[in-house]
Amino acid sequence: MFNDSDVSRILEEAMSTTADFAEVFQEVTESKSVSLLNGQVIRAATGFDSGTGIRLLAGTNSVYVYSSDNDIEVLLKLAKEAAAAIKGNDKGSIEALKALCSTSKATIEIDPMSVPKKDMVDFLRKSSDYALSYNPLITQVASGIAHTSRTARVMNTRGVNAEDTTKRIRLSVEAIATKDNEKQSGRVAPGTMRGYEFINEYPIIEKTQECCDTAIRMVNAGYAPSAKMPVILGNGFGGVIFHEACGHALEATSVGIKNSYFTDKLGEQIASAVVSARDNAQIDGEWGSYATDDEGNTSSDLLLIENGILKNYLIDELGGRRMNAKPTGCSRRQNYSYAPTSRMSNTYICNGESDPKDIISNTEYGLYCTQMGGGSVDTSTGDFNFAVNEAFMIRDGKVAEPVRGATLIGKGQEILKNIDMVGNDLKLAAGVCGSLSGGVPVTVGQPTIRVSSILVGGREG
Amino acid sequence: MDIKSAEKFMEKLVKAGMEYGFEECEASFSSESSMSIDILNGEVSSYENSATSTLSFRGLKNGQMGYCSTNILEDSSIDFLLKSAMENCEVLNDEDPQFIYCDENNKDLYFSQVTDAYSKNTYKSFSELGLKLEKAILALDSRIDAVDFLTISCSTGPYLIINSKGLHSYRDTDGISLMASARATDSDGSVKSGGHYWIGKDIDDFDLDKFLAKFKENLIGKMGAKSCKPGNYKVVLKSEAFQQFFMVFFGNFLATTMQRGLSLLADKEGETIASSVFTVKEEPMYDKALTKIPFDDEGVLTTAKAIIDKGVFATALYDLKSANKAGKTSTGNGFRSGSAVSEMPTNLIVVPGEKSFEALLEEAGEGVILTDLSGLHAGVNAISGDFSLLCEGYLIENGKKGRPVEQITVAGNFYEVIKDIISVGNDIINLPSGEGEFFTPSVLVNSLAISGDDE
Repeated sequence: MFNDSDVSRILEEAMSTTADFAEVFQEVTESKSVSLLNGQVIRAATGFDSGTGIRLLAGTNSVYVYSSDNDIEVLLKLAKEAAAAIKGNDKGSIEALKALCSTSKATIEIDPMSVPKKDMVDFLRKSSDYALSYNPLITQVASGIAHTSRTARVMNTRGVNAEDTTKRIRLSVEAIATKDNEKQSGRVAPGTMRGYEFINEYPIIEKTQECCDTAIRMVNAGYAPSAKMPVILGNGFGGVIFHEACGHALEATSVGIKNSYFTDKLGEQIASAVVSARDNAQIDGEWGSYATDDEGNTSSDLLLIENGILKNYLIDELGGRRMNAKPTGCSRRQNYSYAPTSRMSNTYICNGESDPKDIISNTEYGLYCTQMGGGSVDTSTGDFNFAVNEAFMIRDGKVAEPVRGATLIGKGQEILKNIDMVGNDLKLAAGVCGSLSGGVPVTVGQPTIRVSSILVGGREG
Repeated sequence: MDIKSAEKFMEKLVKAGMEYGFEECEASFSSESSMSIDILNGEVSSYENSATSTLSFRGLKNGQMGYCSTNILEDSSIDFLLKSAMENCEVLNDEDPQFIYCDENNKDLYFSQVTDAYSKNTYKSFSELGLKLEKAILALDSRIDAVDFLTISCSTGPYLIINSKGLHSYRDTDGISLMASARATDSDGSVKSGGHYWIGKDIDDFDLDKFLAKFKENLIGKMGAKSCKPGNYKVVLKSEAFQQFFMVFFGNFLATTMQRGLSLLADKEGETIASSVFTVKEEPMYDKALTKIPFDDEGVLTTAKAIIDKGVFATALYDLKSANKAGKTSTGNGFRSGSAVSEMPTNLIVVPGEKSFEALLEEAGEGVILTDLSGLHAGVNAISGDFSLLCEGYLIENGKKGRPVEQITVAGNFYEVIKDIISVGNDIINLPSGEGEFFTPSVLVNSLAISGDDE
């Protein structure tokens, strides 16, 4: 990492022309991972990377330069190039760097870096041994543990001098069931910012069995129907619907350039009155958390929607300049090779009042999605799609036969208004969100909810 | 880090690796310099410039290959790299042997394809082109509100591999890409977005008029789109959509996927798996490709071959490890993904048929053209081949392109689709893909399930 005088030299060089703001971002990341397939350790990897990004702003004009070489002369040259490219009106000022402020939302008892890979392998073997002897239909089991420790420091011309450390660990187990030419899988992939104690406490056998059961159910299941129908989305990763259909459209990345269907909608009813939602980066030990964002701002617990009314957008520095609004501490980037932008952290629909059992019994016919895959959204049109990994038909208020191959499609702005029941069983689930500033760890979440009508794309008429 | 310094570091690292106790070892270095600009509202809103590099080390000990990577090429990293790779060897228990390779006749290869045209890629040339393009897009139609995304970027960089068996090979690459997307609002308030892309090696090859014509078709052509009746339709998968679709399932053609029991194509080499009109070739040195790849990341010479030959699965793609396991020779498809090596395709070519795109529509008579598929990272089961995807396109009515459609899904199974291809067009496009590009025309599929909601 640099010393303060190096940083000052870079900032001075960056501000030598017409930028009104400059920022130096420096990052050091260590990673380790092991992967098993059917009990064999097929990959064990270690990485150590570091790099620096320099950003200049002049109004809404931005220049970003970065290098994996942290040599001060290399960076001064890049800063000079950046200064030549920025298009502003006046030369901005530089405030003296404050004392370094270090933060972290990680709650670590056992540092995963100190755990031998052999222990990780032994843990994962318990899962593969169990799965492979569980049922003859289970033919493969893939599992892995990946840990990343990242310290990111942000220093800017407003005197900000902050560093945040994240230490994330993620476990994954995928069981595959085979029947004739058909293969279906069941998967769990919890992630956390707790230490290795999370792995030690994880009920691996119970969860492996759940993966096997899902894979077996799905390999035996018929295809989902194609029709508009009520859809119940189970808690946890079901929250990907909110993440895709609403969260992305609340990011300044799209709102700031008016490329979102929620542009200029603050204070308006954008969702059904039973819907409230938050983006909370401050939860200790949670996968998507951070204490200080990648622009050096303190992270926040932001109320996005309250009883259906839009309360806040997710705003970064550049988006804030476009929207004439203050940043909300949500600026993130995968690493130094991306300029930061507004992103989600732990984003979820808040608990409602319905008992999940009542949601099912109140649905005569529909689809009950218990495990969601990923999805995507076009924030200008609202078009979204989600894959469903495990689903059941609901008939006469009861959970009926399992079905596979369903996709949910619709318009984000409509779906939010069609949520008519919200359960009281909120749960969060880890994922990785890809967007302009790369892949960042996020959690999605929700209680069980019902949407009165979604188009289900399946293979049966 | 310049290539000469990297080379010195790598030679030192390999020597130290052998002294550390590896049976064989290898270092590879890749670096990339890139530049990009974004245009928004008549201005260069963003400019990026970068130089990054990665060094990967792998070493063999007791038949296991341990990997480690870093971007810090300092003497202090040598100990970290060797120690970590050795620790990784110790926990591995892969039953299949791995190899450090050197072909005595091809151990000192040098292939540079960066042309003088790369020096034309400057902030000035990109911003002039970008601003002109944004203006021209906005002038295409009064319903276009904004160009939300317009980026022009270029990158270039070398790949160098050095190992303890004497391999010392170099290749490099360069290229430019341009992507733009705009938003338009119809009189009824409905919004559509659409765009186009261009890839090339010389900025002067960019054809503005051709680009704008296609851009207009991709955005304004979609205006007024609505859903359609559910049912089974004849489907023309437009070249861009077919490229995306085929690549999602391409993992099934890799030997490692098959050997792990994760591909239904295992043991099917030599069997008919697709329609007889369908041929897919891999040509690493294809003359029309922007990137030519003479050797893979394990130092093995690449070769041209058919993967699917008139419907017959001719060969899977192999790297050294999977080839050894199958009793075959590597097809030169071992490329680094992250730090480890796995099979990747270079330039893929779907051999075109005789018919134009219009002739495919005529052959279909009634059906649907699919131009965009969404959610490919989620709406497919890569193993079973099942898919259900949000898509957009047009109806085919009386053998001609009809009204635009949206908010529909297409569902089916990859293996059934490739058997069900009736005709392959001749409207070839190329898109970056794998280690190279994918060249494909549109294809006509006999029947696919479309779900929609035409009220």
